[in-house]
Amino acid sequence: MLKRIWTIFIRDLTVNMREFMTLYMIIIPLVLAVGINFLSPSINDTSVNLALIENENPEQAAYFDDFANVELFSDEQKVEDRVMSRDSVAGILPKDNGYYIMTQGNEPESVLEYAKLLNVLYEADVQLEDARSEIIEFGRTVPPLKKMLVNMLLLLISMLAGMLIAMNILEEKVDQTVSAINVTPTSRSAFILGKSLTGMAVALFSSIACLLITGFYNVNLGQAALVVFSSTILSLLIGFIQGLNSDDVMEAAGSVKLMFLPMAGSIAGYEFVTGNWQIFFYWSPFYWAYKANDMILSKSGTWPQLILFIGIILAICGAVYALLAPRIARKLQ
Amino acid sequence: MIKVEGLYYSYSNDDNFAVKDVSFEVAEGEIFGFLGPSGAGKSTTQGILTGLLQLQKGNASVAGYDIKNISRKMFNKIGMSFEQSNVYSKMTAKENLSFYSKLFDVETRDPIELINLVGLGGKENIKTGEFSKGMKHRLTFARSMINNPSMWFLDEPTTGLDPAIAADIKDIIKEHNNKGVTVFLTTHNMFIADELCDRVAFIVDGVIKLIDSPKILKLQYGKKLVEVEYVQDGNVKKETFSTIMQKDKDLLNQIIADKEILTMHTKEATLEEIFIKVTGRGLV
Ligand SMILES: Nc1ncnc2c1ncn2[C@@H]1O[C@H](COP(=O)(O)OP(=O)(O)OP(=O)(O)O)[C@@H](O)[C@H]1O
Ligand SMILES: [Mg+2]
Repeated sequence: MLKRIWTIFIRDLTVNMREFMTLYMIIIPLVLAVGINFLSPSINDTSVNLALIENENPEQAAYFDDFANVELFSDEQKVEDRVMSRDSVAGILPKDNGYYIMTQGNEPESVLEYAKLLNVLYEADVQLEDARSEIIEFGRTVPPLKKMLVNMLLLLISMLAGMLIAMNILEEKVDQTVSAINVTPTSRSAFILGKSLTGMAVALFSSIACLLITGFYNVNLGQAALVVFSSTILSLLIGFIQGLNSDDVMEAAGSVKLMFLPMAGSIAGYEFVTGNWQIFFYWSPFYWAYKANDMILSKSGTWPQLILFIGIILAICGAVYALLAPRIARKLQ
Repeated sequence: MIKVEGLYYSYSNDDNFAVKDVSFEVAEGEIFGFLGPSGAGKSTTQGILTGLLQLQKGNASVAGYDIKNISRKMFNKIGMSFEQSNVYSKMTAKENLSFYSKLFDVETRDPIELINLVGLGGKENIKTGEFSKGMKHRLTFARSMINNPSMWFLDEPTTGLDPAIAADIKDIIKEHNNKGVTVFLTTHNMFIADELCDRVAFIVDGVIKLIDSPKILKLQYGKKLVEVEYVQDGNVKKETFSTIMQKDKDLLNQIIADKEILTMHTKEATLEEIFIKVTGRGLV
């Protein structure tokens, strides 16, 4: 059984790497990942930069240094010059009895919030030991846009995996090779698992590669892989059924693309719809995958939460499977 | 090796049977020919016996396995050459066979050896998408031998091949049979059937009309055919009559009485002529 699953998987992969269309599907997420890096600064550049006046308050500078990149300047004018430069820096300057935050105006809100927060925390004399978790939580060292793009990319990858399956099923259908496999000791489940493994392996590989390319190597990759795994199951099911129902490559790719709509809807729902209305997206496994990914990418998730989300995704996939499995089995006759 | 009893099959799951009450047995080491016109139900029968079509009604066993609930292990013993060639067009001939060989649990044959055997030597590294129809058909045939089957199903293995290659295929079948392989052969080619088959079944409209050995059939019909050329309404007509079938004898009498006879001689019946005489149908 395992030998045959592997044989089918390797065959698919070999053929996929050779054909332009399928190779493109495997490569494109990696290209997009590189693109995201250009569009949005990498995570490591985005730790918050603060500009202070040297020796004005060494204790404060030391405190901030635990949580941000602190740059010291000789006077207020130098701090201002620094703040006006291209990247995001917030200046913290003395005024009256307290401090005020000087910005250029184009810094991400998170930088500003963070600077404010640090300032408040310092004044309240909160120590690192007391407050670590909260500070990281508020820190949002990852630009939200980048996190969103990478999250979308992860969903796109699972959709592409479905398309890949559709292509591979279509190949068997056009060449009528399923009947040849049916007169070998290969069971139907070995065939389906072999085919699925191709999509799954490509999805997992691309996802991890994209996370690494975009600089998310500090996130829990195991958790990320789990979410990719569960959300890809649905794409694979759809890939199977569309491959069996289509007669040519464009039709197969096109019909899998239909998944794009609920996917985009779920993302928009999660990002832009307010709390109470989110319930309207609960049916969509993409919503839960996006939510889970968001948690992982911002390193704020707990295992119980994650397991709950994955459980929901799997339950929805299970329902879809129950619906589609008889049709898939019939079509493979 | 094969035992079939009261087999029925309907594609539409109703009384519209493609195969009706088919029963026969194939002994180990035999070459059994399945002959009949297009649409007779030959491929359908073969499909049921190889598990490609679900057994609906009747009993069948192949190589000791009950077809009602097929064990996947059975396929280690079975080879199947499809009527319509079905190989991966994006893979080379050699890749096709290597991939296929890995799906079996038993010792398999060397892909290159098989490719050479069917006359495709030198073409092993060409994608089969670039193959001609006949080349694909030969590769499909070659693939069916890869697991050294003891029960070999061949659905029209020589269709679409030129006579020289068809003769080579025929020799390959004979050779394997000499080594003990049981063969279930579906074909339109009466010469090949005649030369290869120990027994043949004539099937028409899903019903088996007769099962016998070509030798016995020829003894029966032997030189008992008369070919007559006569004039009818100013045209020359040529017809063959059996001298043992009452209907033919009557017709012949009439023609001799009424028409102007040009030539008349006895001849040895071919399997095709016997088929036509028995079933009242041509083989096309
Ligand atoms: N997939 C199918 N769906 C519906 N009817 C079918 C199907 N395949 C075959 N039939 C019908 O079943 C009957 C027997 O077909 P079958 O393919 O067994 O004939 P055959 O003897 O192999 O013919 P040929 O010599 O042309 O290969 C025919 O009437 C055909 O129309
Ligand atoms: Mg046929």
